Amino acid sequence: MKRLGRFILALLRELADESAYQRHLAAHGRVHSTAEWRRFSEERQRVRSAMPKCC
Amino acid sequence: MKLLAHLFWAAVAGAAAFCLGAIALNRGEHINSIWLVLAAACSYATGYRFYSRFLAARVLALDDRRATPAERLRDGQDFEPTNKWILFGHHFAAIAGPGPLVGPVLAAQFGYLPGTLWIIIGAVLGGAAQDFVILFASMRRDGKSLGQMAREEIGKVAGFSALITVLLIMIIMLAVMALVVVNALKGSPWGAFTIAATIPIAVFMGLYLRYWRPAKVLECSAIGVVLVMAAIFAGRSVAQSAAVAPLFTLSAMALAIAIIVYGFLASALPVWLLLAPRGYLSTFVKLGVILMLGVGILFVRPELQLPAFTRFVDGTGPIFAGKIFPFCFITIACGSISGFHALIASGTTPKMIAKEGHARPIGYGSMVLESFVAIMAMIAACVLQPGVYFAVNSPPSAVGSTPAAAVATISSWGFPVTVPDLTGLAHEVGEQTLFYRTGGAPSLALGMARIFATSGGGRALIGFWYHFAIMFEALFILTILDTGTRVGRFMLQDFLGHVWKPLGRTSWMPGVVATSAAMVGAWGYFLIQGVRDPLGGINSLWPLFGISNQLLAAIALSLATTILLKMHGAKYLWITCAPLAWLVTVTFTAAWQKIFSPLPALGFLAQADRLEASLRAGTAADPAATQTLIFNARLDAVLCGVFLLLVTTILLDSMRVWIGILRGTREARVCEAPFVLSQLRAEEL
Repeated sequence: MKRLGRFILALLRELADESAYQRHLAAHGRVHSTAEWRRFSEERQRVRSAMPKCC
Repeated sequence: MKLLAHLFWAAVAGAAAFCLGAIALNRGEHINSIWLVLAAACSYATGYRFYSRFLAARVLALDDRRATPAERLRDGQDFEPTNKWILFGHHFAAIAGPGPLVGPVLAAQFGYLPGTLWIIIGAVLGGAAQDFVILFASMRRDGKSLGQMAREEIGKVAGFSALITVLLIMIIMLAVMALVVVNALKGSPWGAFTIAATIPIAVFMGLYLRYWRPAKVLECSAIGVVLVMAAIFAGRSVAQSAAVAPLFTLSAMALAIAIIVYGFLASALPVWLLLAPRGYLSTFVKLGVILMLGVGILFVRPELQLPAFTRFVDGTGPIFAGKIFPFCFITIACGSISGFHALIASGTTPKMIAKEGHARPIGYGSMVLESFVAIMAMIAACVLQPGVYFAVNSPPSAVGSTPAAAVATISSWGFPVTVPDLTGLAHEVGEQTLFYRTGGAPSLALGMARIFATSGGGRALIGFWYHFAIMFEALFILTILDTGTRVGRFMLQDFLGHVWKPLGRTSWMPGVVATSAAMVGAWGYFLIQGVRDPLGGINSLWPLFGISNQLLAAIALSLATTILLKMHGAKYLWITCAPLAWLVTVTFTAAWQKIFSPLPALGFLAQADRLEASLRAGTAADPAATQTLIFNARLDAVLCGVFLLLVTTILLDSMRVWIGILRGTREARVCEAPFVLSQLRAEEL
């Protein structure tokens, strides 16, 4: 049950882009800040909003 | 141990065959929905275990020693090796749209059997194989898009035609999805209020994430879900308020205009303000509702009320015209095979796959799960009394323009229903009427509400569950509308940038506004056309959408065939050629009938001729409106013809390449990235 709970939380964090943000911070050696989140989020949404969603 | 495994899989395959046989041969008795669930689950398990394994090992030769683009081009953002089950969830969330929910509901006019068989067989042998091969192809080509791969593997003509086809398909898709929302919300203050409330909720979430709690997306989404649930509860009070209800009681035309304005604003506004938070909200609500529906069906195990076949297999259906072949197979696209999936499978997912072997559960597995969603939608539609199902889904032109006339017509088809039945049900779910609510969404919501209410809350909560289901469908669709409009705008800017450079710049505001307006104007035109259509709109637009989506699948399968031919010669051509041949037969037949059928309910040109005759005879009620309808019918015919022409171009271009390779006059060079040994450690996955 614990593993299932961890998996669900990991999936939700991935869908919410929270994991991607943590990876971004780690990859670029930066710390969390409002400006950093905006930079990350805008770039991610720019790419994502150019991808079609399925019908 | 091996013997036990063999016995287990023999039992699963046997159960699939037995359940399919049971639902196919059952006549005259109501069948329990659990038969459909078991038939689907066992077929998918068998297909996944054997067919996808064969594809992975023998045909695609997946190699876990080979570094994927996620590892080679790792940048911490787009390219990132990701746990396979998390990526599975991500990919499933991207491919699962309203299509597998609405398509089966509409196709239920033929009865539950044709659609169910097409969903299961089409997904196992066609759709899942297509998604898997395209995902593999993109993964081996650094995550390239469908258009880029078509250009490299087939040629420039095919690549360009694929891009134009995608743009046109998006216009039709957005129009038909908007029409589904319009038909679900017209004259429904409760529904309109709930959906209107999701806009300020999304804006609040956008501000929350940007200014108050940056990066706390899960926390923010949880607040958003609570607010949406509160809006659904508040909707009942709004609908019952004499002062406020008229503000949210909107006609179809008013709703269409509101959605067009929303689409334009969402396309031009900053992404963080509306689009991104709405996207998060929609994803979580979508996955939650699908899970709830699955659990609800298993818990309630309702009996199907619709028969295996209805009389409308002959093509005289009130929801859309056309015989079971080819129209059942274009009405259900996303649940069995969908060209749009090829766009997703060649988008974000191939850039995040950690090991090549993961492409099998993600590509093939997600598609069969989506197919299962389509089976659940079919069940939700078929648990309704047939009379109720047809009263909700039929336009006045097919059943009569008064409730009394409608129930008389529907009862004469052998599906008894009365006006008090429908009125009572409408009051129960908090609606003024349920007659003529075409588009599939309201009848799906009724079926879902019945399943949810039986699972918990009883009839007292059926109104809440109905509007919960409507909110889920509309939220889902509006997310596709705003994202789709934006994607279409980017594509348009990309094209127009070649004509005049500033138009191609996404930071130049006049260009952004002009291309957003052009994109919204294009799908908005077809939406208004659908609202004005005397046959109900869905009759014209859904088949057009189905044809275009399946033609996109034909493009994806042509590309997949070219790649398999280059890899193995003719040996495994049947894998993609068989579904390709089926789709070409189905879509070309459907398109031909939609253009040239002499029946006005079916053929666009015949419909235009009939309207023209009424103009000449002076019997048209509104000559100006009739002129517009004539133009629209001819425009639909031309659009259908353009789809055929574009796909024929790609097919001929592909065949030229295939013949060259088979004759040995053309080099069979695959454009894969070179082999690099994977260094990825197990703990990184």
